[in-house]
Amino acid sequence: MKRSAMLWYTLGAVVLVAVWEGIVRWRNVRRFVLLKPSEMVSTFADDPGFYLDHVWVTARHVGVGLAISLAVSVVFGAVLAAWPALEAASQPLLVLIMVTPWVAYITSVVLWLGSGTPSIVFLVAFVTVPAFVYATVAGMRSADPAARELFASIDAGPAEVLWRLRLPAALPSLFTAARFNVGLGLAAAYYSEGSAFTRAGLGAIGKRAANANQGAALWTTICCAALLGIAAQFLVLLAERWLLRWHASQRLSPVP
Amino acid sequence: MLRAVEGLANTTRRAPATTRILCHDDALTRGSLPSAKMGRVSIRGVAKQFGPRAALGPVDLDIEPGSVVTVLGPSGCGKTTLLRLIAGLERPSAGLVRLGDEPPLAARHGKRIGFVPQSPALLPWRTVEANARLLQDVNRGANPAYLPDAVELLERVGLGEFRDALPHELSGGMQQRVGLVRAFALGAPYLLMDEPFAALDEITRAEMRHLLDELRGGTGATVVFVTHSLAEAVFLSDRVVVMSARPGRIVGDVAIDLPRPRTPDVEDDPAFFAYETELRRILREGLQRSVAAG
Repeated sequence: MKRSAMLWYTLGAVVLVAVWEGIVRWRNVRRFVLLKPSEMVSTFADDPGFYLDHVWVTARHVGVGLAISLAVSVVFGAVLAAWPALEAASQPLLVLIMVTPWVAYITSVVLWLGSGTPSIVFLVAFVTVPAFVYATVAGMRSADPAARELFASIDAGPAEVLWRLRLPAALPSLFTAARFNVGLGLAAAYYSEGSAFTRAGLGAIGKRAANANQGAALWTTICCAALLGIAAQFLVLLAERWLLRWHASQRLSPVP
Repeated sequence: MLRAVEGLANTTRRAPATTRILCHDDALTRGSLPSAKMGRVSIRGVAKQFGPRAALGPVDLDIEPGSVVTVLGPSGCGKTTLLRLIAGLERPSAGLVRLGDEPPLAARHGKRIGFVPQSPALLPWRTVEANARLLQDVNRGANPAYLPDAVELLERVGLGEFRDALPHELSGGMQQRVGLVRAFALGAPYLLMDEPFAALDEITRAEMRHLLDELRGGTGATVVFVTHSLAEAVFLSDRVVVMSARPGRIVGDVAIDLPRPRTPDVEDDPAFFAYETELRRILREGLQRSVAAG
């Protein structure tokens, strides 16, 4: 990011927090509806270790879930990219996963997989699969046809075509899907932590705070989840900068 | 003592590229490869249909080992199809293609075909050097015993400084030079080139054909080159085969008897113009005949 852009970014953040703080103070909003940023900071500062422990638990749920989802999707997507009939046949499943509200069936998942981590990680992985699969299929199909012929001209095996040509070609769309899935995965983790009869994770303490009518604690978990999401987006961005430095999207535009 | 050994290591590493390529040439003639007919391309009654449409032939063509044959024809005449049939990327609807005495699929399997596509088809995530090595790196098991040094080849085409650059940092001509090096780095006995300079400007095109001729000298490879440029055909070839409009048939076969090695000034020679004129006449006749027939 250029220095001037960084300056505007920081200014935007400061104004956002200031307006937020101002509205809550001025309109005297109830704590449960919206908490002042300053109060989130002080709630967090009262017991930072407690909140950080739960941030770490949620981060693990999201991280493990997304890693499983990505691995499954790349394998699944590679098969679908090579086999159009199967791609068509798997559309109902993928669309169903995408459109069905996971909030509604989380209880059934918990009943099936038990309380705690297994259900949470499953849900994170399950809901993020479609975006990764679509990205893999589209990306692998977009591999340069001339390069594919070149590989064919020396009789390259399917594994090598996949590894050296199709997978790198799928990276740009996979990163786009990853940005989207980080938000989705975090939401799925937070909500399922609150529903999976567990005591660990931001969602679990958020739910308890809500039940106990503790607005300050609830909003502090929301704030922690948001910061976790920003950090995760930043990690994706860094990985993208590094792995896609050859791609047009990562080059500075010559036209201002 | 140590220094002497180091010196020796250095000299081996820096052996001139021509020596390397001659080594590879030796391997070809020594019979370590499948056949004594290595390098010959035979095409017998080959025709290709795409659905109801006839795209090519039937075509008969014999190409001598180590020679450069250009297939010249109007666009859409099926010359690219002919090249793809030789490369085994397409199966003929009728007839037989042999490289040496093996079918194209076997030649592909043994990495004996260096293919240069129309677009450079460089992998954008690989550096120039890694792109030049691509055909060496893929399907390694089938590599020949002697592989030309990709870095030396890059230096010969003037891209030594750009080894670590990414393809998008190169001009179109430079990218196609990497495409040539990638094919030559395979040390293959057959080089099949599909209008590789078609997208380049006239000045770069001329530069590229001179460079290609220089790279090829000494490799002993059989080259089949597809183009619609008369100057390219005359400059590069031992023989030019002219095709009619679709469905392509061979309507002319001209031996280019210009001395080798050829230098760029051969293009100012009256004999060069005479060949161009003759090829243009055959092309025109081929077109008229197909218009009359169609």
